[in-house]
Amino acid sequence: MATTGFSMATREVNGSGMAALLAAGIGSMAMGAAVLLNEAGILVAPTLYAPAGGVSGRTTLATIVWLVAWAVLHNRWKAREIAPGRVGALTLILVALGLLGTFPPVWALFG
Amino acid sequence: MLFSERSIWTMLHGIGLGGAALLGLGAALFYLYAARSPSDSTGPAARSGAFAGITVGTAVTLWLAVIVGTYVIFPPYRATPPPGVSDLSEFPRAMLLAAPGTAWLHAFAMESKEHMPWIASMLTTAVAFVAVRYRSKMLQDPSLRRLSMALLAVAFALVSFVSVMGMFVNKVAPLD
Repeated sequence: MATTGFSMATREVNGSGMAALLAAGIGSMAMGAAVLLNEAGILVAPTLYAPAGGVSGRTTLATIVWLVAWAVLHNRWKAREIAPGRVGALTLILVALGLLGTFPPVWALFG
Repeated sequence: MLFSERSIWTMLHGIGLGGAALLGLGAALFYLYAARSPSDSTGPAARSGAFAGITVGTAVTLWLAVIVGTYVIFPPYRATPPPGVSDLSEFPRAMLLAAPGTAWLHAFAMESKEHMPWIASMLTTAVAFVAVRYRSKMLQDPSLRRLSMALLAVAFALVSFVSVMGMFVNKVAPLD
């Protein structure tokens, strides 16, 4: 990922913020992927709460992916100034793909 | 009793938490939009505290809405009726799927509601973190502000969409 190097100055770097925003994109993508893979019968997340059915497993899985991605990115970028253009674009692309995966008419293409 | 327990949970989920989240997202978007203008007489430092409070409150509200929706409201909605039951009013999903004219309310509306709000919660939480972490810098930094605004706009659109879908479902097959 593009960075502008370690900040040696006292000004606040944007790494923590960019990590949070990109992680949200990754979490969105994970949600869409979990739903699509489930609909295609490739990967069925375990049901964690039977009365709620499979949605409990899919949403928990995506939430874990989001939090792990956030922790990893935060740890790597917290002291860096990150070039916002590419990270922003990647975040929006991941969010869009994640939303497509959760949109029921798309499931018919994979089901 | 005027309202059943299930009905009260549904109102808390949709009107209380969902409505509050929409208001919070709208207010947060307005804050970011207003921060574009350098002629705003209110200082960024003063506005950033309020903005952080709004986004954190909205994120918490959204998480409560999705957790209540998934673990309190969805189970009775999707309950399978016992064999031989002809009155499906206690089983909303089965009732919707029983008629071709209303089946889309489950296949499209409710299926969308199962996952999309979780994405809105993640996006809003990320912006709330940025707002708390960076305070006035977030409002002054164009890249952070623009990306946060885009994610909040997506979250607002998602919550609006699932709210309308929820109204449709609850109108035809309410959890009474």
